[in-house]
Amino acid sequence: MRLVEHEGKELLRAAGIPVPVSELIRPGEDVSLPYPFLLKSQVPASNRLRKGGISKVADAADFARARESLFATPVDGYLPERLLAEAFIDAAQELYVSFSYEGASRGPVLALSAKGGTGVGAAMVISVSILRGLTREAASAALAQTGITHDLSDVLVRLWNLFVEQKLALLEVNPLFVLPDGSVVAGDAKVVTDPAVTKDGERPFLALGGDIAVIASGGGASMLTIDLLMRAGGKPANYVEYSGNPPATVVEELTVRVLSTPGLRGAWIVGGTANFTDTYETMSGFLAGLRRIVPKPTYPIVVRRDGPRLEEARTLLEQVAKEEDFNITVFGPEASMAESAETLLERMNAYVDTR
Amino acid sequence: MGKEGTRAAREMAAYGTNVLAGVAPGKGGQQTEEGLPIYESVIDACAAHPEITASLIVVPGQFVGSAVTDALDAGIRLVNILSEQVPLIDVARIIEHAREKGARIVGPSSVGIMSPGKAKIGSIGSGGTAERVFTPGPVGVISKSGGMTAELSRILTTAGIGQSTAVGIGGDPLIGSDFLDIALLFEGDLETKALVIFGEVGGVYEEQLAEAIADCRITKPVIALIAGVFAETLPSETPLGHAGAIIQGNRGSASSKIAALKAAGAQIAQTPEDIPVFLKNVL
Repeated sequence: MRLVEHEGKELLRAAGIPVPVSELIRPGEDVSLPYPFLLKSQVPASNRLRKGGISKVADAADFARARESLFATPVDGYLPERLLAEAFIDAAQELYVSFSYEGASRGPVLALSAKGGTGVGAAMVISVSILRGLTREAASAALAQTGITHDLSDVLVRLWNLFVEQKLALLEVNPLFVLPDGSVVAGDAKVVTDPAVTKDGERPFLALGGDIAVIASGGGASMLTIDLLMRAGGKPANYVEYSGNPPATVVEELTVRVLSTPGLRGAWIVGGTANFTDTYETMSGFLAGLRRIVPKPTYPIVVRRDGPRLEEARTLLEQVAKEEDFNITVFGPEASMAESAETLLERMNAYVDTR
Repeated sequence: MGKEGTRAAREMAAYGTNVLAGVAPGKGGQQTEEGLPIYESVIDACAAHPEITASLIVVPGQFVGSAVTDALDAGIRLVNILSEQVPLIDVARIIEHAREKGARIVGPSSVGIMSPGKAKIGSIGSGGTAERVFTPGPVGVISKSGGMTAELSRILTTAGIGQSTAVGIGGDPLIGSDFLDIALLFEGDLETKALVIFGEVGGVYEEQLAEAIADCRITKPVIALIAGVFAETLPSETPLGHAGAIIQGNRGSASSKIAALKAAGAQIAQTPEDIPVFLKNVL
């Protein structure tokens, strides 16, 4: 999860990294900071300045206008609950600093640039040993290589310690202001927590705007199936997936959520060959969800599945379709994923909603 | 051992894997229903069974770092991590630890490793699907997706093309073995004549394989299927089906991976069913 700026700055402050004097306000609240100051939308979005999420405020009239405008302006779809009013910093230099994990080196990296702010210059990326940590010496060497003449090794080590102690996925300070006296102030904080640590990872659910509900099994297969459906000319209503071997109730709730999308004309319940997913269990969950949809779906539904207990799952689906009058076609591995998508599109073309 | 670990051990033994011991802290001295002895630690297990060479990790994500450290300290050469939701910091630690020990980690979030007709580790080919899906043969399969490891192997089997080994490397942002690591093993394997890879949007592991094909470190034919082209219309940093499947600008997009692999000389499949057609031209 991405924290908003003021939450990230709380972490920085606690770690001994100076942040600007600031006040957090709700709609209608006033600020006691002296003018000029910055008013910043507290939304989890990057490039807020460019997207109209940050205003420089010179006087009271300016403040009233900016406050109203910022609370009404969504940035990347997020409307702020609060604004951060923050003292304006007159910096000698703006740096870019971040710690994150990188696939290429399969470990943590320090990214550093002497030109931070908006339009960051090419950052130097330096691997850090997670077992040994960032030494002051390595930090000094990285600063020298980047052409940063101030001795900020202590700041880098503090940021590294925060990154490791909080088990963060990303800690980015951009800009890191360097003042004329060589001290630093963090101008912004982008902090992304690791969902495996905070356990707040959510199943991705994306609206894609089409008329075909897609319930896909498997993280990789789900992405492939959307590609295949779009290539066949279908318009997916959503992207969602369930992985592993979930109980029926998980698939039931997912089914209710997906099939509650307005304007559906078809549904594709699709997966590859499961290694250990109990297909009878998951398809029972799908049927339980399907029965809860009002009005009862009459549009074509194509199921394509394979894996443990496939034949029991197939028998169940066909029996329920017949007895409860659902328009369900069931395929096992005899039809490819792409063929089952084409079958769905054919059935949708032939389908007339008689209600 | 937990329910998942016990089930995996039973399924692996049934397929012919020589499963010698289980490890569960607090349950040392007990046995599973099948009579598999349980030890407090991998160090204890290896003391009693010095022939152990590999370890399968099936513990909740937050305990993986500890379990893998135990296995590496016991001198295990191959650690396969089935567990999902492993903190990034722990993955980084065990990868660096394994590198220092010269050991190999496959995973986290790996469905397992299957050498058809010989042995398997992990939950790959469970629930009675192994014989129908996997057959011995000349193709090495490497996949970020567990489900697609089996789907592609089954399609090959149906087309009469067997697999030397199928490996689920997992779809996390940090993994112990990537496409190139496993491809290099297949490159040195006499049984393997061609490689099939299933990749997806996010990260640079597909691009690293492309570089190795281009500079001839990988010379066996590679056929790749890359998922997630649709994601290019979505906002940057949208999370998808795997933790590593995150779009970050143009970097790591499905199209950039396809372009890199194609330029390096890999064949790009549009659908899973293209793969056996391409393979028949190179085998």
